[in-house]
Formats: sequence, structure tokens, C-alpha cells
Amino acid sequence: MTEARTLDVSHLRPWEISSQAPLWWGQLFIDFIEGTMFSILIASYFYVRLRVDVWPPPGDQFPHTLLPSLALIPLILSAAGSYWASEAAKKNSRAGMIGGLLLNLVLAGAALAMRLIEWHSINFNWKADALGSYTWAFLGLHTFDYIADLVFTIVLFVIIVSGRYGEKERLGVHVDSVVWYFIVGIWIPIYIVVYWCPYIVETAQ
Amino acid sequence: MKPAQDVLPNVPTCEQDIADLERVWRHPRGIGGWLSYTTHQAIGMRYIVTAFVFLLAGGIEALLMRTQLALPNNTFLGPDRYNEIFTTHGTTMMFLFAVPMMEGFGIYLVPLMLGTRNVAFPRLNAFGYWMYLAGALFLYWGVFTNAAPDMGWFAYTPLSGPQFTPGKRADYWAQMITFTEVSAMCVAAELIATIFKQRAPRMSLNRIPLYVWAMLIQSFMVLFAMPAVMIASSFILSDRTVATHFVNPAEGGDPLLYQHVFWFFGHPEVYIIFIPALGFVSAIVSAHTRREVFGYTAMVLSQIANGFIAFGLWVHHMFATGLPQIGEAYFTASSLMIAITSGVQIFCWIATLWTGRPRFTTALHFVYGFIAIFVLGGMTGVMLASVPLDLQVHDTFFVVAHFHYVLIGGAVFPLMGAFYHWFPKMTGRLMDEFIGKLNFWVLFIGFNLTFFPMHILGLKGMPRRIYTYPPEAGWGPLNHLATIGAFILAIGGAIFLANVFWSRKYGRIAGNNPWDADSLEWAAASPPANYNFEYLPAATSRSPLWVPPEDRTFVTGLRNDRREVLVTTLMDAEPHHRYVLPPPSIWPFLTAVAVTIGFAGSVFNAWYVTWGSILTGICLIGWFWPRRPLELEP
Amino acid sequence: MQKRSLALAALLILSSCAGHQQSVVDPAGPQADRIAALWWFFFWLLVAIFIIVMAFAVWTLTRPNRGLEQEPLEARHRPSEQKETQLRRIVTGATVLTIIILFVLLVFSVGTGKAVSELGNKNNGLAIEVTGNQWWWQVQYLNSDPSQVLVDANEIHIPVGRPVLIRLRSNDVIHSFWVPNLHGKRDLIPSRVTTEWIEADKPGVYRGQCAEFCGLQHAHMILYVIAEPEAKFKAWFQHALQPAAAPSTPITQRGQQVFLNNACVYCHQIQGTTASGQNGPNLTHFGSRRGIAANTLPNTPGNLGGWILDPQTVKPGNHMATIAVNSQDLQPLIDYLESLK
Repeated sequence: MTEARTLDVSHLRPWEISSQAPLWWGQLFIDFIEGTMFSILIASYFYVRLRVDVWPPPGDQFPHTLLPSLALIPLILSAAGSYWASEAAKKNSRAGMIGGLLLNLVLAGAALAMRLIEWHSINFNWKADALGSYTWAFLGLHTFDYIADLVFTIVLFVIIVSGRYGEKERLGVHVDSVVWYFIVGIWIPIYIVVYWCPYIVETAQ
Repeated sequence: MKPAQDVLPNVPTCEQDIADLERVWRHPRGIGGWLSYTTHQAIGMRYIVTAFVFLLAGGIEALLMRTQLALPNNTFLGPDRYNEIFTTHGTTMMFLFAVPMMEGFGIYLVPLMLGTRNVAFPRLNAFGYWMYLAGALFLYWGVFTNAAPDMGWFAYTPLSGPQFTPGKRADYWAQMITFTEVSAMCVAAELIATIFKQRAPRMSLNRIPLYVWAMLIQSFMVLFAMPAVMIASSFILSDRTVATHFVNPAEGGDPLLYQHVFWFFGHPEVYIIFIPALGFVSAIVSAHTRREVFGYTAMVLSQIANGFIAFGLWVHHMFATGLPQIGEAYFTASSLMIAITSGVQIFCWIATLWTGRPRFTTALHFVYGFIAIFVLGGMTGVMLASVPLDLQVHDTFFVVAHFHYVLIGGAVFPLMGAFYHWFPKMTGRLMDEFIGKLNFWVLFIGFNLTFFPMHILGLKGMPRRIYTYPPEAGWGPLNHLATIGAFILAIGGAIFLANVFWSRKYGRIAGNNPWDADSLEWAAASPPANYNFEYLPAATSRSPLWVPPEDRTFVTGLRNDRREVLVTTLMDAEPHHRYVLPPPSIWPFLTAVAVTIGFAGSVFNAWYVTWGSILTGICLIGWFWPRRPLELEP
Repeated sequence: MQKRSLALAALLILSSCAGHQQSVVDPAGPQADRIAALWWFFFWLLVAIFIIVMAFAVWTLTRPNRGLEQEPLEARHRPSEQKETQLRRIVTGATVLTIIILFVLLVFSVGTGKAVSELGNKNNGLAIEVTGNQWWWQVQYLNSDPSQVLVDANEIHIPVGRPVLIRLRSNDVIHSFWVPNLHGKRDLIPSRVTTEWIEADKPGVYRGQCAEFCGLQHAHMILYVIAEPEAKFKAWFQHALQPAAAPSTPITQRGQQVFLNNACVYCHQIQGTTASGQNGPNLTHFGSRRGIAANTLPNTPGNLGGWILDPQTVKPGNHMATIAVNSQDLQPLIDYLESLK
């Protein structure tokens, strides 16, 4: 066979830990899907709000803003832990991965605890009226994703600590950071819609 | 051991390589093995076969409806049964036949056309199929337990709300949507990743086959449209089961919001079905006229434009709800605009047929049938885009005629052509051409006889979704004609099945490339080995198989002792890294079972969301648990 | 071939539609007239385009097969540059033509829409509120003077030549008001009010039907718009405002007693009696209505008897209760109701 007619790829690595990996792209598309879902929910919220004369509906108190705003701090900082772990994954530094994942888990856990505490003070549930349904839809769906990724990150953490990992698991740490950036990032518009928009579009009673 | 390909004469087949590939890519044995298959050919076939079964189910439902409507004041079906049947017919055809069938072909063909061995996420692929099957079985469980949905396939609220549709009927419908949309989103994500990252070396973006472009665009549309129907159906399910107020008017919910969210999905949905069919037409036209489709760039840009514009049309389903005039004008304009992008493609195909050397095979017959029927459907679509006209014919049999013309003409006829074109690749034998042409004519005549009269019925005032009508309305004769046509269509379906079964046993042996076609799937064996190609091909032209054999290039250096493929760059498909795919696994099936427990159970008791999530979490841990070898040898 | 002859047959059938009830192409009012004109414009233009496109497609069937030649594989499959350039020009031309035609259609469509909406908007006093229920139409003639407000069901009377505002509301699910001889349809959406102006320019009885699937008996939610010259309309209206005539024969008196002593009064109202139920159609002038049960059946004594005895067989799933009326009471009841002219 003539050399010119073959393309030899044996020198290429059999793995890749970066945005060139197919898994990274797959995760990106999942983010598109989730992002679209939340966007539609946000649009629906405003559609309903603009059709109703009285906001908040009678008997509802708008959710308080202090604790959720404070919770933003550990939440955003937890992304730094993800970043640290992701960079360590690329360099195959076990200590870095453990440190980054731990930081991420602790801060994400703190933000979650603050969120769950704050929920007790919301004086309506999803059955009450449209505001209730939308508020709890946002909180419920986002928190579901949040907890799911938290669990996934804990499992990754256990695997890395146990030393039982290879390139595939390091790619997992890298892609997990992308998931976390999405979960933190999508929270910002949801937080604004759930906690601040009611005040902005409030009608005088 | 037969060679994987015989169209690269300058490459001697290496027996050891073939033995390794056969061993590494072999299907696992037994029932547990069958549940663990992850090859794209097997999963693609499963989608195609399952979707075909649901095509038959939807067809039977249609025949039942047509029997009831054949005569005025007919008593074959009462209103409840009729309402269940028309709802189930629409739901089955849209969610359980059309989209999964197109996806099945995509899963089967795209890796072959790209010159790779499998999709980027084989286990996700398997999971997606099980979710589709579970959703379909869940809905039909409802159908056979007197809980078939009965509120129309788009389930407008408040009719589909708890007050007006009591019981579980609408719940089965809404949750089936969740199942099938999860499945569709898995397929979309993996197809895009495969198309972006696993193309043959040198298959730059402007060398991608038109069918693959169609699947790429369709997959992006799925990503952005399906979430809307998930939300819409979840609004309904949640209002019904946990007393929320998203779309029920009692406490501030809004029925029109439901329509907006639903149709934001619903309009792109028909293009999600239709765009892959356009890809079929391109593939068939180029192979059976032996020239590259005219106007590649125009074709690609039109399809991309189609994909975008499709998202800007949805309000044309809501013209009767009393919208502001400026909004109506905008949606008329955008609905008319999409005729341009479809028109450009028709012109390009006609130009191709005009200057090629057509071979009038059955597949090409279906292309001509597509042109005739789809263009007529497009004409009525232009009429429906006009608000004053739409206000008269909306929700009448005129619309029923329109969408059957564009869906059957625009998607099913190309699909039939696709069957005749790719059957030899999938089974190794050609379908019979004589029976095929008979098949075409019976379907063509039956289709027009069924649906053309419906245009007139709509203009004569016959609304949709009515279980009967009085004789003095004057709709009897045309309905009778339509019913005769429907039975002729059914005969056409039977002829097709007969041809499939006969040809599987007695059809002429096809060889790798019976049509002398140009795309890479025709380089693999018929049917392909699980690993598709012994050596992955490179693509130095838009029509790689029309490059003389001595000028073709292929890839060496991939390991054959594990499931390894090549990842290339996005724009120019330069080799970037090698990518090891996982072996067959039972986890996708188990995860699907866990998710099914959650989804299906939650229709009866909301706590199942929690149990299902926990079970799913456990299965996902199993799925991703590290397996040996941990470090990959280079 | 097949396509063409079918199209011709269809045209013949279509043109024989003129004079048909409930037909889009048989307008009896200015709105429907404008829309029908737009319809024919679109129809003929698009038929012509369809024939031209099909002609090109059919022409490709006749192109000679050039047979296999000996050139190298890839070149064999591409025609000459000259041919490609020619094709490019033709396809571009066809595309430009398509854009122009679509633009023309857009202009005509928007123009017709504007013209139709301007046909209403007159302030000459007749507004009718139609409320959709599963599966009947409540009709209320609005007036600022409460004594001039008329409540009716399943039939709408309008004067010829006067635009009438129809206000549409729903008590349950989405319905759609559609009288094709007069105008396109408008949905009745719960928690909203939609409106449509209609006008008849010749007297007649125009059949309409609910056009948005609304449940079990969507097929049997029919209404009639009865257009009469202005004077006749006014006379009818004044008569309709009157309470029900008191029964004058022993049988009809007996019938009234049967009505008032039974569950009928929980749903139906008859002005001038104590029956004031709000859930069902008003029966004050039931005797002069064309149909029963939202025009599922023609209004004849026999049909009325069948309806009263067993509504679920006539219209399965409808919300009228089945009331046990014994055989001696049935005929008087029928006679009484039919006497309410």
C-alpha cells in the first residue's frame, strides 16, 4: 500500500481531557436543554404575571431576599473549587483534585443548607396559586439538579480519594465542573426572577 | 471471515485485524446480553422496527376512525371511543412513530456516513431506546385499560385539566411525553456530538453528506423544542396530580399560555419530523440520478434557515384566539417565509433530476411522489398562513388534509424511499422492484383518494374531531370516498410488509454498493459488521465513493483490541485524538427501568419521584463506576 | 397524471358547493365575502404554481438517459460547468419569483385582514354575548337597559345589513364560534373575552358549529344564525322579551305543572314562571326553536319526547339529567314546551 493513501493516527492520545472531548460537548447540549427549560419557565412566569392584576396574589408574601442573597457567596465560590479540581484533573494531580472537589462540596453544601432554611419562611406552597406554582417549580427543579450534581460530585470524590481512577474519571472531574458552572450560572437569572422580580413587578395593593 | 469492505483494492485485508475487530465488537450473548447491546446498528434497527409497529397501530386507529366517519350518523364508534381513538392516533403517529423512526434511521446511518464505528455515547443511545419503548408501552397500557387519552393530541387546557378530564387518561399522555422527550434529547445530544467530533478525517463541514446535515439541524431543533413540550405536559400533569395552577384558569393559570408553550414545541416538531426526510430525498436523488445534488451550499443554508424559521411560526396555530393584528401579520410573514427555504430545496432536487442520469427505481418513484404530494401540501400551507383564510379553515378537515399532505407526502413518502434505498444495506438483499412500484402506486392513489376530498370537506364546513355528522350537512359522499381511500392505503401498507418479508428471504443479494452510490455507508458490507469498516475511511470529497479507488485514503493506527474510534476537529476534521468507547453494558437498561419506575409511578403517587430518583442515582453510579483497565495503553 | 385529473374533479365539486349551508365559499355577509374573494385569489394563483412546478418535475422524467461513459468516476457524476451555471441562474430566478409571489400573497392577506376588521367597529347598538358551555350556546342580547336584555340559547337572531358585535366567553373549556357563511371563527376561552363582528347581507338561516374540540359532544354543539330584515327582527325581539305565554289548555297547564314539579327547574328557566335554573338553556320560547339539544335534533314533538326520556342515548355524555317522567305526564309536558312560542 502506498504511504500517501494512509493516514496513521497511532501517535494520537487515546484520551482527551478538555473541551475537545465528545463528553464535554454532550454535557454542553444537556446544558442547552436545561437552559431552554428554565428560559421557557421564566417566560411563562412573566406571561402569567402580566395577565393578572394583583401581584402578589392575596395572602402571599414575597419570599425574603436576605438569606438567598447571602447564599450566593458560597455558591459562586464553590465554582472556584470546581475549577481547581478541573485543572488538577488535566494535570493528573490527585491532591489538587481532592482539594478542589472538597472545597466545592463544602461550599455547595453550605449554600444548599442556607437555601433549605430559607424555604421554611416562604408562606405559600405550590398549590396556593400561580405565584406559588411557579416559585416552587423554579426552586424545585433547580434544587433537584443541584442535589443530583452534588451526589455525582461526592461519588467522584470517593473514587479519586480511593485512588481507583484513570483518564476516564479525570475527564469526569473536568466535565463535572462544566455541569457545576451551569448550575451556578443558571441560578443567577432564576434567583433574580424568584426573589427580586416580584418586587419589581409588584402592584400596589 | 468476509472482509469488511471490498472497495479499497489497494488495501490488503489483514486477517488478524478482522479477527480482533470481530472479537472486540461481538454482541454479548443471552437475554442479558441482548439487553446490553450498544452498537448503533442494533439500536437503530430497534427504533425502526418499534416505530414501524406503532405506525401500524396508528394506522389501525385511522381505519377505525374512517369507518365511523364513512356514513352520516354512524354508530360504529360512540363519542368516547372515537375521541380516544383520534387522540391516540395523533399521539401515536407524532410521538411513537414519526420522530423515533427518523431517529432510528439517523442512529443507523450517521456513523456509517461519517466513517466511524459507533455514536459518541453508545450507552446513552441504548438508554434512549429503552426510554422510548417504556413510554410507548406506558401509553398503550393506558389504552388497553380504558385510560386512553381522549382530549386531542395537543391536549388543550382546561379540557385536559382535572375538572374536565377526570381519571388517568391525560396523565398517561403527559407522562408518555416525558419518556419520549427524554429519549429524543439523548439521541439529539449524541448525534450532534458524533457529527461534530467523529467525522472521517478531511470531511470538512462542506463535505458532510446532506442527510447528515439534516440530522444535525434536526438534532439542534430537538434540543431547543423538546423542552417546551416537557414543560407543557408537566404543567398539565402537575395541575392534575399535585393541584398546581400553571395552566388552569381557576387561580391565575392561563389556558393560552399552554397553547403558546405547546406550539413553541409543536411547530418545530413537524420540521423535526420533516427535515430528516429531506435528507433522505437528497441521499436517494444523488444515488439514483448518479450526480451530486445540485446546489449543496444552497441546500445546507436552506435547511439551516428552515430550522431557525421553524421556531418563529408557532402562533399560526392560534390565529383564532384573538391576537393583536400586528402579531398576526408577523406570523403570517414568517409562515410564508418558510415556503422559500422549502422551495429552494425542491428546485435544487428538480435541477438534479433534470441533469442527472436517473434510474427509475422504486426509491426514485417515492421521491417523485414526495414532490407531488408535499408541494400540494405546501400550497395549502401558504393558504393557512393567511389569517383571514385560516380563520375559516382552521380546525376543519382542510387542516387535516394539509398536514397529512405535508407529513405523509413530506415525511412518509421519503421514508418509504429510504426503506427501498437502504434495505439492501441493512439486510444484504434488495427489495423487489416490481412489488415496490406496485407498492408506490397503491400508496399514491390511496393517499390522494383519502385526503384530497378532505380539503373540500373543510371548505364545506366540516370541523375536525367530530365523531359523527348529520346527512343534511352533505358531507357523506366525500367521507365515504375518503374511507375507501384509507383502506387502499392500508393495502399499500400490507404490500410493503409483504415485500419486506419476501425480500429478506428471496431478494437479490445486494453486495456493498448495489446503487453505485457516493456516501460512505456504501463502503461497508451489507449488512455492516458491528465495527462498520476494517479501516476507517477518510473523505477527500463530498462524494467519497465516486473518487477512484486508487485515490482513496484511509486511517491506520487505531487499536483493534478495544472499541476505539477517531475524534477529529470541528471545522476541518483533522485527526485530534483517539477515543475508547465502552463495552456493552446492562446499566442503560437498568437505569431506564429505574427512571420508568419514577415516571410511571409518579402518575399515581408523587412520592415515586423520590424513589425513582434514588434508584436512578444508584444505577448511574453503576453506569459510571470505574472499570478496568483504569489507565489506557497508548 | 392522477394528480391533475383529481384536481379537476375537485374543482368541479368545489364549484358545485355554491348555495351550500355552512360553506366557506358561499358567503352571505361582507366579512365572509372578503375572505372568499381572498380564497379564490390564493386558490387560482397556487394552482397555477403547482401545475408549473409539477410540469418541471414531470419534464425530468423525459430527459434522455445519457448512458455510461468512460470518464473517470468522479467526473462522470458532475455535469459541465456551463450547465451548472445555467441551472444556478434558473434556480435563483425561481427563488426570486417565489419570494415575490409570497410577498404579494402577504400584502393581499394583510390587506384583507385589515379590511375585514374595519367592517365591524360600528357603533349601532347591537351586541350579543355568546357563552360556551359543554355542549350548548348561551346567547344574551346586551343592553344598558336591563329590561331590554334577552337571554336565549342555540340560536342567534340578527337584522340584515347591520354589523353585530359578538362577545365570546366560556364557562368551562375552550370552544369556537364558527358560522362559515358569515365569517371565520373565533375561540371562546375561559377567563377571557374575545370578540368578532358579523353581518348578514341577505336574509337566511346560517348554520354554525363549535370548531374547537371541547369534549364528548363537540360534534353536537350546533347553532343557527337567523338573519331577518330589520323590521322583522325588531318584531321578533319585542316578542321574545315577553315572558312565556301562560298555558291555555288543560293539557298544557298540566304540562307546566309537570315541568315545575320536576328537577327541570334546577337547570332551566322559563320567564313568567318560577323556573329560574341557570345551568341549562333558557326555555322561555322553546317552541319556536329549530332544534333540540344545541340542534342535535330537529324540534319536533317526537324528538322532544325522546330527548326528555333519554338524553344520554341521544347525546351520550351531555350534562342533562335523566328525569323519570311517567307516560301520562310526558305528552302534556311536550305539548306545554312546544306551546312556548
